[in-house]
Amino acid sequence: MNEKKVTNPALEVSDMQAYQDVAGEVAVEDARVSCRDVRVYYGDKQALFGINLDLGSNAVTALIGPSGCGKSTFLRCINRMNDTIPNCRVEGNIRLDNQDINDPNSDVVELRARVGMVFQKPNPFPKSIYDNVAYGPRIHALAESKDHLDSIVETALKKAGLWKEVADRLNSPGTGLSGGQQQRLCIARAISVQPEVILMDEPCSALDPIATARIEELIDELSENFTIAIVTHSMQQAARVSQRTAYFHLGNLIEVGDTEQIFTNPQQQLTEDYITGRFG
Amino acid sequence: MKNPSKGHTVESFNEEMKREHKTVLQMGALVRTQIKNAIRTLQEEDAEEARKVIAADAEVNNLDIQVAAHVEHILARRTPVAGDLREVLTVAKMATDLERCGDEAGKLARLTIHFFGDRGTAPNYQLLQEVSSVAGFVDHMLQESLDAFDQRNIERACEVIRKAESLDGEFRSSLRRLTTFVLEDARTIGQFIDVVLAVRALERIGGHAKNIGGYVVYLVTGRDVRHETLDEILRDLT
Repeated sequence: MNEKKVTNPALEVSDMQAYQDVAGEVAVEDARVSCRDVRVYYGDKQALFGINLDLGSNAVTALIGPSGCGKSTFLRCINRMNDTIPNCRVEGNIRLDNQDINDPNSDVVELRARVGMVFQKPNPFPKSIYDNVAYGPRIHALAESKDHLDSIVETALKKAGLWKEVADRLNSPGTGLSGGQQQRLCIARAISVQPEVILMDEPCSALDPIATARIEELIDELSENFTIAIVTHSMQQAARVSQRTAYFHLGNLIEVGDTEQIFTNPQQQLTEDYITGRFG
Repeated sequence: MKNPSKGHTVESFNEEMKREHKTVLQMGALVRTQIKNAIRTLQEEDAEEARKVIAADAEVNNLDIQVAAHVEHILARRTPVAGDLREVLTVAKMATDLERCGDEAGKLARLTIHFFGDRGTAPNYQLLQEVSSVAGFVDHMLQESLDAFDQRNIERACEVIRKAESLDGEFRSSLRRLTTFVLEDARTIGQFIDVVLAVRALERIGGHAKNIGGYVVYLVTGRDVRHETLDEILRDLT
């Protein structure tokens, strides 16, 4: 009675294989991104074993799991960042607004404008703050005039909560900002092209607690307009910022559900053991 | 990475959790002793011992404060989640219920002083029989609830909740029997009220034992069943 499911045993990395089943509902009603049977191989080595997962519109989905579990690999499938890795092969079906993103006819540049990404370490271009944010709108020809571009930059910086701090020094180098400010600049850069989805790969791991809190608050605000997926190693961060949480283990999705349920009463023993700090 | 569910990677967290588990069981054992001693003082008409029972309640209070402080530290330092969070919350709630059981034992001891102290008036012996009979029932419930917690045993927890429903009947029967004494001799009304208060204190201890049973169901399943009947609990468990 009331035993946790142990259909998926904890294995050694060398024993990576497809697991038995996923606890929780992988599909959501208002899916913006829908992934089915996603398999990723690095050469002969399989890194993801048939992942099925939806990202709901205007919601934050946290991807958690021990290092090497495939959460970042999965995240990078959504804007085809894995295309840039030699020997990496992605199979399965990933749909953004019901369009197959891996369709040979789809434009990867357009895809990456629709699916923005923020990385672990802030990586502003060695350009001015203004040019960092204006870069995307320029290459995608989103601005009709200089005034329009100014307005796009201002709006993006405001949405990223950075405008007040940089309004008087837009021509200063982006690399001169603090770590937290640089990360918000990268977020401003990502949202300046009006993406539908923002992927965040441990966006706060290089930041202090105050800068982290500001990014988390920003994620909360951005979720009103964007679909967000965030990879994080901080259980508390996942619990704070997301509405849904997905737990990955050795290339498999083990459990997905409402964040509250995952952190109070997970269904899978593996999930419980990971989030309570029994391994990982 | 094999056998991960055996314990936390941070061993000191394991130790802290075990310590609180043990402290709350120790508190439970102490409270049971307090209740037994209080009842014995009534049976043996020993006001002096009753005063010792009242003084010993401080030890229960200290354990309550100790558990609260440790729970606060665990929440602040470990931010427990899932089963760990439920265990910490369960321990905190149990300590509160057990502390109140200790207070009820104190009420029983005060009754002994009231009846058998220097200015007391010994009551009808048969009136006190009612107290002893309910006390045995309630003590068994408390023991069962502590065992259910220690073993994370839902069946035993449900048994405590079932007994709480019987206790309601037991309490009403006891009141009816006590009422007959008043009907026979209206002068016993004062004693009647005192004894009813004692039975009521025991009934409250049974209520706390029932709460602990509910916490055990929550601990194991994550469901808050405090306001559910036993039938509702069992229906959802199967």
